[in-house]
Amino acid sequence: MSFVPGQPVTAVVERVEIQKLRQGENLILGFSIGGGIDQDPGQNPFSEDKSDKGIYVTRISPKGPADLAGLKIGDKIMQVNGWDMTMVTHDQARKKLTKKREDVVRLLVTRKSLEEAVKQSKGCYHKP
Amino acid sequence: MFCRNQTARATVARGSALEMEIRRGKFRKSVFLDTSQDSDIQKKIDHEIRMRDGACKLLAACSQKDQALEAAKSLQTCSTRIMAYMSELQRMKEAQVMQKVTRRSSDAGPMDDRLPCKGKVAISDLRIPLMWKDTEYFKNKGELHRCAVFCLLQLGEEIFDTDMVIVDRTLTDICFDNTIVFSEASPGFELRVELYSCCSEDDYSAGSTPRKLASKLSSSLGRSAGKKLRAAMEPGPCSPVSNGGGAPLLLPVPSVPGPKYHLLAHTTLSLSHVQDSFRTHDLIISGNEECSYWLPLYGSMCCRLAAQPHCMTQQMMSGCLKVKQQCGGDPQSWTKVHAVLKGTSLFCYYRQEDVEANVEPAFTIGINKETRIRASEKDPLSKVQNICISNHYGGEEVTHTVTTDGREETHRWMEAFWQHFYDMSQWKQCCDDLMKIELPSPRKPAPITPKQGSLYHEMVIESSDDLSSTVSDILARRMQELELRSQLGTSPTWMSAFEESTARCTGRSRHCTRMSGHSPCTPHRLPRSPVSPHRCPQLGLLSSDASLTSDSDSHCSTSPCSHHHGWPEPTSSYSLLSSSPSRLRPRTLSLDAKLSTLRGRGYGGGGTFQCSCQPPPSSLLAPLPISSCSPRSQHSTQTTLSCSSSTSSNSSSNSEGSHSPESSEGGPFSRPSPARRSLRNLRARLDPRNWLQSQV
Repeated sequence: MSFVPGQPVTAVVERVEIQKLRQGENLILGFSIGGGIDQDPGQNPFSEDKSDKGIYVTRISPKGPADLAGLKIGDKIMQVNGWDMTMVTHDQARKKLTKKREDVVRLLVTRKSLEEAVKQSKGCYHKP
Repeated sequence: MFCRNQTARATVARGSALEMEIRRGKFRKSVFLDTSQDSDIQKKIDHEIRMRDGACKLLAACSQKDQALEAAKSLQTCSTRIMAYMSELQRMKEAQVMQKVTRRSSDAGPMDDRLPCKGKVAISDLRIPLMWKDTEYFKNKGELHRCAVFCLLQLGEEIFDTDMVIVDRTLTDICFDNTIVFSEASPGFELRVELYSCCSEDDYSAGSTPRKLASKLSSSLGRSAGKKLRAAMEPGPCSPVSNGGGAPLLLPVPSVPGPKYHLLAHTTLSLSHVQDSFRTHDLIISGNEECSYWLPLYGSMCCRLAAQPHCMTQQMMSGCLKVKQQCGGDPQSWTKVHAVLKGTSLFCYYRQEDVEANVEPAFTIGINKETRIRASEKDPLSKVQNICISNHYGGEEVTHTVTTDGREETHRWMEAFWQHFYDMSQWKQCCDDLMKIELPSPRKPAPITPKQGSLYHEMVIESSDDLSSTVSDILARRMQELELRSQLGTSPTWMSAFEESTARCTGRSRHCTRMSGHSPCTPHRLPRSPVSPHRCPQLGLLSSDASLTSDSDSHCSTSPCSHHHGWPEPTSSYSLLSSSPSRLRPRTLSLDAKLSTLRGRGYGGGGTFQCSCQPPPSSLLAPLPISSCSPRSQHSTQTTLSCSSSTSSNSSSNSEGSHSPESSEGGPFSRPSPARRSLRNLRARLDPRNWLQSQV
């Protein structure tokens, strides 16, 4: 998940499709994000690499749409509806998630466990 | 060659031994005597230079206008003081050189040239009327031209400034409330009053660059500009810091971008202006209408200038005297008194202790300008001269005859009287009556207005090792406490902790048995599975929340308390906060107050806790579906208590629908894994103050 300038970023991602929930006149997703290229990456408790300025999920409202869709806390959001989230400011990320005209967001998220899972499935023979 | 009474410079023969000695600086005594004063001034100069540097730095660093104005004002004051001290130093050095030459003549004490006593001079209630055009003042036409003004008052070496006042056309007078007291003024003093003003609207950088650009530019100075600025900021090699012997260099005032004050008007006051009431004085105005710092001054200044010469306030002379009884007639009846010469009277007390005891004097002999004192012929009996003090009371002449024990005493008293008369003649109207000088009382600090807003603002956190976790800990705990209160319906056991004096916080968490008169904890607890120590921190913590940061029991706020077992597992699924290592936390009294008010509000009927963060009570009791959670080590338990404060990472804001804390543990409760504990740490670190988070 770390970003090496000049190198393409590769990650194992999971698709998460979240249906927005209408609450009054807001459409909510039920989670909170943190991070962004304008934020201090050292403060991110979820990132492996403390220079990672990506957008992370910091909180999931239980039983909220995100929770039901399978989003997990600590996930790094790579894309939202096709829009890249690895190199955006915090506010840009928020805006991409809260578009009023869209009532579903399709996220590509990555987390460490995914990598592990893939590794395990690939190379289980060398595990005791 | 060397004349006792003349202070004129004596000629020293060229090539003489004396000249050689002077050149070699052999007059050690004089050197020592004079340089003590020198070093005093030097110290003052150094101090002022440091202040000035500080003001420059502050000026360069501050962003707010009033800060900048204040800093510029102190800069101006410091610069003026430095100039004054430097010139004083110059004068002293010159005098030193002259004195070295005429050393012996100045050995004769100051008695030959009698020096008047010094005194206190106070100026207060300065008021400078303004003369706006009627169109400006009444109709409020045109732009509001605002200026920041202050007064600089200089008497001898003492320089003081008044507070800064912002003046615009809604004011008719510039008033300065300060009382400035100069403590060592001679009767021939010259009090220079200078009015400085600075336009308070312009951009402070040269030219009219917009502020944003200006700040951007200032933060990225070019090399040469930066070098200059840096040189100006730091005391360069030209500062006379350790320049004891050489001639002091006049430091150039560093040009710092920022508001600059200009002299708008000035005047000089002296002894003739001293009066015990308000008087109007003329101002000499510099500048004209074109200047940015211009203000339409009426041209005069009102103030109260008072002076208290020391001869009026201090005891000039005291000792034993024998006063001849007037009506006695018998020359042998002398009354022994302890006499004190002060002000316009000679107070005669029976005993010396009476003076301190503030007892009324036995009698008082007036000593004023009309009094005549002369030494009479020697008393044949005592061989001592008498002193006759004659006053005119009404039309009558009243004479008191006093005598002392010996010739030296008499001489001293006469000397004191002469000095007193001299002082009075020098201080003129100040010696008629004692003028009142109100000492400026120490300003009370501005009352701290209770801050609106969240609890977050009220907290004071002193332990700085893990700030964010501290804050989130505190808040999360508090939220849980609120949640629990509403949850339980009856006031929980630890409520007693709040009812008890909040000043005590000793291990309340651990001694629920001590808590009085509340629904027993145990019935609530027993049906539930025993909770491991890590589960109970909330309660332990909550009870100590009254003082939030308990001073003595660090463990009570941090570590889990083993006594509170059995808090229900599903309902105890508040987010588990990191148990930070025991550390002492200071009290936060404001939080106490807030808690007690909240408590007062909420606990009427128990149950619903009225607070801005109102979690629906019912939902909390329902056992939460646990199955939805997958590997627990990864998951967070979050208390979705909303609270007015937004700082806790664990709170969701009010827009969330249902608030129900969820448990991360499936099924039977077990010891929290290290992963969960680290997760707790994690969550505690999600402090929005440090790392922005948005809810979507």
